[in-house]
Amino acid sequence: MHCLSDEQIDFIAMDIRRRGIHLPGLQENLLDHICILIEQKLDKPEEFETVYAAVIKTFYCSELKEIEEEALFLVQYGRHWVLGRGPFFTILFVIFIGPFIAYDALWLINSYAEYGLYLPRKVWGASFVYSLFPLLTLLVLLFTPERLDPLIPRKSKILIGIRPLIKIVRVA
Amino acid sequence: MNFPTELLKGTLKTIVLNLLTKHKSMYGYEITQKVKELTNNKIQITEGALYPTLHALEADGLVTTETEYIGKRVRKYYSLSPSGKATAKVKVKELAEFMDTLISLLNIKTKIA
Repeated sequence: MHCLSDEQIDFIAMDIRRRGIHLPGLQENLLDHICILIEQKLDKPEEFETVYAAVIKTFYCSELKEIEEEALFLVQYGRHWVLGRGPFFTILFVIFIGPFIAYDALWLINSYAEYGLYLPRKVWGASFVYSLFPLLTLLVLLFTPERLDPLIPRKSKILIGIRPLIKIVRVA
Repeated sequence: MNFPTELLKGTLKTIVLNLLTKHKSMYGYEITQKVKELTNNKIQITEGALYPTLHALEADGLVTTETEYIGKRVRKYYSLSPSGKATAKVKVKELAEFMDTLISLLNIKTKIA
């Protein structure tokens, strides 16, 4: 067993950074782990480069930076909120139709004394037109094959939802 | 016989958390060696799987770290946080139940030691 010199440790640290590892904690972990393995295998100081090249290869399949990519993926994975069909449609409905329904309700309350339970077309018309958007979105989601559903990212679902609206606007 | 990595992927967090319940603090290389020793070399955790897992556990607040300077090197020791201790218990119980289910599903006769 041979203890690595400061220059050799600096070389490894620099090479780890050069290979795309930017997370400081991960750099430290890899540096320590690689140093331990090299020190175990190194008999003569002049073999350092050969042993290092052999050791570093065992850390990855294609590139060392895949370790950092996996680390970032694992952290992000748990924090992504992927909406199911039910909550997605509910939120969409509340955002797009909620204000119109609230407006209709307020109009009814304010004008109850004058008109009774009558709601003019110019008031409910907008609610009806905008209700088509989430309903069409629901149709798109319902007709998306179940096996594809988990593969559709949240943002794409919103885009899929917007597509029918764009078509309506273009036709109009 | 070495187990394929696909079998280990879903259980690595549980393995690490459980190891840390039995050892006050451990560093990366030590974890790989301990797993090899406890499993008679049947399970070899790769660095490419271990460090992302440790990073995720740290980001989730399940482990805390302490650093030790060895010359120009830094050694990170991992230990369980209070929430990590609770999660370890839940994860181990969950995995045990999953293994029981698999045993009955695949109709495997278990070895009685």
